[in-house]
Amino acid sequence: MQGGLERATGEKMVLNFGPQHPATHGTLRIVLELDGESVLKATPHAGYLHTGFEKLGEHLDYNQYIVVTDRMNYLSPLSNNFGYVLAVEQLLGIEVTKRCQYIRILMAELSRLADHLLWLGTAALDLGAFSVFLYSFREREKLYSIFEKTTGARLTTSYTRVGGVFRDLYDGCEEDVRQFVTNFPKALKETHTLLTKNRIWMDRTKGVGAISADDAISYGLTGPCLRATGVAHDIRKAEPYSSYDEVTFDVPVGTNGDAYDRYLVRMEEMIQSCGIVTQVLDNMPDGSVNLEDNKITMPDKSDAYGHIEGLIHHFKIVMDGHGVQPPIGEHYCATESPNGELGFYIVSDGSGTAYRIRIRPPSFLHFQALPHMLEGGMVSDTVAVLGSLNVIAGELDR
Amino acid sequence: MSEENQVEEQPKPLILQKLEANHADALLAHDETRGTVVVVVRKEQAYAVLEYLKTDPELAYTFLVDVTAVDNSQMESELMQFDYARFMVVYQLYSYQGQCRARVKVPVHESDLNIPSVTSLWQGANWLERETYDMFGINFEGHPDLRRILMPDDFEGHPLRKDYPLRGRGERERFNFDKQNV
Amino acid sequence: MGLDFVGQGAGETDGNIITTTIDKVVNWGRKNSLWPMPFGTACCAIEMMATLASKFDLSRFGSEAIRFSPRQSDLLIVSGRISIKMMPVLKRIYDQMPDPKWVISMGACASCGGVFDTYTLIQGVDQFIPVDVYIPGCPPRPEDLIDGVLQVQQKIASGASPKGVEAVYE
Ligand code: SF4
Repeated sequence: MQGGLERATGEKMVLNFGPQHPATHGTLRIVLELDGESVLKATPHAGYLHTGFEKLGEHLDYNQYIVVTDRMNYLSPLSNNFGYVLAVEQLLGIEVTKRCQYIRILMAELSRLADHLLWLGTAALDLGAFSVFLYSFREREKLYSIFEKTTGARLTTSYTRVGGVFRDLYDGCEEDVRQFVTNFPKALKETHTLLTKNRIWMDRTKGVGAISADDAISYGLTGPCLRATGVAHDIRKAEPYSSYDEVTFDVPVGTNGDAYDRYLVRMEEMIQSCGIVTQVLDNMPDGSVNLEDNKITMPDKSDAYGHIEGLIHHFKIVMDGHGVQPPIGEHYCATESPNGELGFYIVSDGSGTAYRIRIRPPSFLHFQALPHMLEGGMVSDTVAVLGSLNVIAGELDR
Repeated sequence: MSEENQVEEQPKPLILQKLEANHADALLAHDETRGTVVVVVRKEQAYAVLEYLKTDPELAYTFLVDVTAVDNSQMESELMQFDYARFMVVYQLYSYQGQCRARVKVPVHESDLNIPSVTSLWQGANWLERETYDMFGINFEGHPDLRRILMPDDFEGHPLRKDYPLRGRGERERFNFDKQNV
Repeated sequence: MGLDFVGQGAGETDGNIITTTIDKVVNWGRKNSLWPMPFGTACCAIEMMATLASKFDLSRFGSEAIRFSPRQSDLLIVSGRISIKMMPVLKRIYDQMPDPKWVISMGACASCGGVFDTYTLIQGVDQFIPVDVYIPGCPPRPEDLIDGVLQVQQKIASGASPKGVEAVYE
């Protein structure tokens, strides 16, 4: 608590920010040491939402664990489902059908939209722009109804399965999604008019919480926070997984790495995601969504009820100690989640449950870099910077 | 004949060539799985190897993706391979320049849980190492601030060790509200 | 409401006087102006936000005056997972709220630990603070949360004491 206080002229004040504070969106805590209005030292604290996801992974079988991944990043559960099953599939050495890959891209991009929308709403709300919150929730509700029709749930989707997805798209999904992506840019324009050239918004975010590209890499920032510093790195481009090489899109980058650039990058990413969604819908292949491998995917319900083989396959997959059993080995698989690099490191001992599951959460490293962005700034910037990082407590603490 | 040619056609990844040339004594084992090079290095030289991987201009693994550990106490095959070292500290690296990944693993014996910290190489290592300390009890020497991060300060034990029960040892029922500093 | 009209057919005051008890009037006021304190930690908090936002609009039921300070609120909505590190915070926030106060435990995690039977998660906040209304679901839909708030309103209207008060007198 001492040291680094040469600048302190008056009395130093310690301000405890969180863990229950409206701008922390959950359970973040920052202890600020202030000299008047300027921040001398910021100490973020994590762990208030620690849930034991990694330990739980050693006790659930591979398909059961999908349910847990929903609850880790509750802004974009579908991306988490996707990243996890991809890791398991790569460990197994299988590749899912083309249609399934496209459906997964579709859902991952829609959930990127959902994530950025919620981020936009809450970040703006923190800086006093309440209308933006209502506007973005209006759009998010439309996505919720698409998710609900596809997966059966608004938030906790658990849509993917090892070797496929829970079910094919519903009839009329294409029209719903197309309607959404045609109207969405117009809705986003409303926000642009409200914020992008807004004097207050610019004053509060421009030059605030800036970080250089080198520091960003050293701190392990990824996703929009890294791209805002000017590094055009996107895992979807650098290591294309699941047919991402078949769609075209741009990787928006910023220049200053400040809160305003992070905002612009995310806004542009939403437009790019709409483009990806349209391309995916245009080129959606026909065929089955699940792998025809009875050792990995569940048989059709009619098969399970109507034939003894189907019943046996069904039974074998759901039985404890059977089911999906990757060979002994380990694998690290990274995907570009809306927040950055979401990695799953799975160690298998050849049984039906993982020996160790490690989740590499983007938010954890973003939150760590917070003091670097805050120190030397004003106390009122804290909210703006924290908002621009989009730290999700569930993912931070796991 | 043709088989031999095929073997020769597969060039050794650059990182392995360079490590074998410069840090051959540090390497315990190496492997390549699904495009990622995995090297197991001796604890004593771990810092030197990681520093080399980061600073070598041709390799430039400038991005430390993750630091974690695995408790191998129930994985006989791994245990035997590395002289019954209970823990394996795992570093995931990425090179923006070469757009490739590497994984460095360091066996750590239970009798000596110290391992040099890499916070001086990557600022991002700070919390990752703290978490590994919190969850496994690995002691990172030279770390500026090695405290628990996810669990409360007065917590006992290391939850991700295999001998720690999933449902805990009663911490979630026993509480002393006065003692805990809010 | 329990309002009684008096003076039926008796000249000037014809149906213009109502009698009731102070308690009932106070309860009527309390019920329709609940000020919730959202203690949102995890996924359930997102659904709580959705409940407050445009489509579901909790303000239709007189509970939109969200207060982030426990000292100004009388309804605590615990939504999300509570870890052993968070529980002392929650307890303190509950203690800081002025009486009478009501508590909603939203979602499976707050009520019983939900899918997470792990070392760090409180298996139900009712072990440590009194809970008036439980809302099942993972996460409960916004309609469920609205229903939960209505249940609290009913409870207030019926004149029943909050769980916290009962606990003190027991
Ligand atoms: S009940 Fe379900 S949705 Fe709610 S916090 Fe728990 S896991 Fe998340």
